[in-house]
Amino acid sequence: MSEAVPTPRSSWWARGLRDPLVHFLLAGAALFILHALFNRADLGGPPQQITISAGRVAQLQESFRLIANRPPSAQELSALVDDFVREEIAYREAVAIGLDQDDTIIRRRLRQKLEFTMEDISAVDEPTEADLVDWLAAHPDRYQRPERRALMQALASGDRRGADADAAARGFITALAAGADPLGVGDPSLLPRAIPLTTRDGVRAIFGDAFAAAAFEAPAGDWLGPVRSPFGAHAVRIVSVEPPETPPFSDLRDQLREDWIAARRDEMRTAAAERLRSRYQVKIDWPDGLDPAGPQAGAGAAAKAGALQ
Amino acid sequence: MAGRKRVKWALVGGVVAAALLAAACEPNPPATTETSGAASTAELPPPNPLKNAYFGDLHVHTRNSFDAYIFNVRATPDDAYNYARGQTIKHAAGFDVRLTDKPLDFLAVTDHAEYLGVLPAINTPGHPFSQVPYAGELFSTDLAVVNTAFRRFGDSLRAGKRMAEFEDMSPTRSAWAEIKAAAERHNDPGRFTSFIGYEYTSPPEGRNLHRNVIFAGSNAPDLPFSALESQDPSDLWTWMDEQRALGNEALAIPHNSNGSDGRMFERTKWNGQPIDQEWADRRIRNEPLVEVTQVKGTSETHPLLSPNDEFAGFEIMEWYIGSATPITKFEGGYVRDALRAGIEMQARDGYNPFKFGLIGSSDTHNAAGSFEEPNYFSKVGIMDATPERRGSTPPEGNTWETYTPPDNVARYSTWGASGLTGVWAEENTRPSIYAGLRRKETFATTGPRIKVRFFAGPDLASVNLGEDAGLRAAYDKGVPMGGDLVAPAAASPDFLVWAIRDPDSAPLQRVQIIKGWTGADGKSNERIYDVACSDGGAVNPATNRCADNGATVDIATCAFSADKGDAELSASWKDPDFDPKLHAFYYVRVLENPTCRWSTWDAVRAGIEPNPALEKTIQERAYSSPIWYVPTGG
Repeated sequence: MSEAVPTPRSSWWARGLRDPLVHFLLAGAALFILHALFNRADLGGPPQQITISAGRVAQLQESFRLIANRPPSAQELSALVDDFVREEIAYREAVAIGLDQDDTIIRRRLRQKLEFTMEDISAVDEPTEADLVDWLAAHPDRYQRPERRALMQALASGDRRGADADAAARGFITALAAGADPLGVGDPSLLPRAIPLTTRDGVRAIFGDAFAAAAFEAPAGDWLGPVRSPFGAHAVRIVSVEPPETPPFSDLRDQLREDWIAARRDEMRTAAAERLRSRYQVKIDWPDGLDPAGPQAGAGAAAKAGALQ
Repeated sequence: MAGRKRVKWALVGGVVAAALLAAACEPNPPATTETSGAASTAELPPPNPLKNAYFGDLHVHTRNSFDAYIFNVRATPDDAYNYARGQTIKHAAGFDVRLTDKPLDFLAVTDHAEYLGVLPAINTPGHPFSQVPYAGELFSTDLAVVNTAFRRFGDSLRAGKRMAEFEDMSPTRSAWAEIKAAAERHNDPGRFTSFIGYEYTSPPEGRNLHRNVIFAGSNAPDLPFSALESQDPSDLWTWMDEQRALGNEALAIPHNSNGSDGRMFERTKWNGQPIDQEWADRRIRNEPLVEVTQVKGTSETHPLLSPNDEFAGFEIMEWYIGSATPITKFEGGYVRDALRAGIEMQARDGYNPFKFGLIGSSDTHNAAGSFEEPNYFSKVGIMDATPERRGSTPPEGNTWETYTPPDNVARYSTWGASGLTGVWAEENTRPSIYAGLRRKETFATTGPRIKVRFFAGPDLASVNLGEDAGLRAAYDKGVPMGGDLVAPAAASPDFLVWAIRDPDSAPLQRVQIIKGWTGADGKSNERIYDVACSDGGAVNPATNRCADNGATVDIATCAFSADKGDAELSASWKDPDFDPKLHAFYYVRVLENPTCRWSTWDAVRAGIEPNPALEKTIQERAYSSPIWYVPTGG
């Protein structure tokens, strides 16, 4: 369930707010901003134009109606428009003196908006039947069903027989090859004696890695072994082998379509990001010893570099 | 980025699913139909009437959970299902996670119903929720700022009141539709089972009364019933009864009773009134199972409740959830204690609201359960993604002598790589697995795939569970775990138990039967009997214990003794203290040989001493559901 985000014992900014040096710097910054604002206003030149279009007024009216369930009165509408004008002025002035710079939240929002916009622009077309056939041909492994095997096994229990388990399993193989009833051979166990067609992972989950590896290399037909597992030694007979197969196209169509679209979108997103990046030359001024490509960067330094990004 | 389009697809899927549901409005849930389109049922293995053990996780959070999203988790329900099926997905901290042992057989995504899908909406430019004044603070880079803003959600949950700014339920509706559509997409009868589910997150004053609601089939309502509707779980049961009448069969599974400070299994109703028959019936009709083990500790029993149980102090959680407030009331907060209270009520009043079976699950908030000690990545996204953040290594430049982890890190350090649900079922399909859950033919493990069979009945002594004929006889003549033994008995019935190790974990050390019974004074008692010892050991009849098998672990490498322990342990047991007139329950606890705890693995990899405040090794275990002995007549 929920887990609260921890509070540092005393946060750096809370401590910082009590620091006289911070007070001094904040006051200085405020003076600088005020100075910039009023000096700009005093610079003269023609005043900037702000035009509130009829469409904008209609939109303000409509948002009011959605919230209040009635249209605004003339007075209310005038106040809405006035407030919008103030917002527009504040926005322009703030941008003009660079208040939008270096603001983490604004930067994140802009990046998100840009990425969403790029995604919308690069809306993916529906694939044609031929696209899907090509896609399947290019990625057969992804859609192949793994090999499955049906097998039987008789256990010589390691718990019960210790080092003699191998010899006992050999005895089982001899008896089974001579036609003994498989249900009557082997030690009692919760392990299944007959395993229907199962993937290698499925066999591994029950018998462990070594057994699964042996069972998926053994030829079908005769009882063979001993095959070792954490449970002891086994006599094993591979009953049938169903090779890996690619399901018919018709069974895969929906999944192919989804994967094709996802891959196209990925491609376009990467290409768009690269196109943008190609307009820039990026130079990173790594502090000493932190350059991941540099000669001195050890594991610890690389971890620190990650934390700085 | 991909998420936005995917949500749109899911919405379309949800609408289609809703239309289909409306068309197929039957009183009983129809059998699950194949929806993936990628499999034909012709080649599936036949159902096994003697049942197979299937392993799954019924407690998984994704980005739709309000807290997971804050922990930087962006994994979707699709990611959760892909992970369960063995694929690699991204952890919130950027690294790859994958089940190294083996995929799961079934899974339910159970995001918090409260503020479901709301955090992603707040973080979506243009969404009305993104206009809340603290939206920027929630996603600030300063954790203290995030914490202050996020506290609103915890406060709202503790108070049980929905914040006014989130009364529009459409983000919750679409996230829920996405969850349902993902479950439908990944259900693959015969190979993998998915369940539609969610978490009901009631924490009155921080005391944990959470439940996971698991739906039987494709039929589920348009919105989940959340703790913002009512914090009283009995209102959830009433809602579930109503849903059942509409064809939406479901069960609820309480979890983290260890964090309830005694409230999960309290002996009164929510309002302090005594429990009555109607309330008890409604509870057990809707809550036949309890999650006994998960990442935030194991709730079987506490050393203070079971002073004679030397294995009781296992992965104990000492605090309220998400807080440094210590738990002080253990009665009512642990499973064995509740089973005992249940038979006391049964003997005194004739009903038992706590007649539940046991399961385990992860409660991962990463969309990916972390079950394996050597491969542990904990639970809450970026919060505990590194050994340092989960208290298994000190920060660079510190040693354990010079460093005390902060509160939250100390809490993460006590969390565990647990747990799994085992179900005995005929086949891996929704109807079969769900029926196994309903029957309580379930067991819990603390991570490894230990399997355990457990039967009781008269005249079973000669039955061998290691043969198909024996299993058939046990089902014919006895009752399996989760069942009631009502046969009139003069002497003890026979108890048959058989456990088998996980080939990828350690061998087994011992099998125990834990008995609770009501005395003539109406009070309950408990006793633990070792019934099978490894390495040819015998039970000492004076102590009911196996001798120590001498298994050891090398803390420097985590290698454990190769020659100790057994692959399988079994017993046919009679209760030496059986009294046919007294109510009793019996459940099995299987113990592995000791292995390294995840925190020791982290330390070994870092080449440092393990944190001295933590256990260096643990004994992984499995718990069966109980079998209840019900006296008949005089």
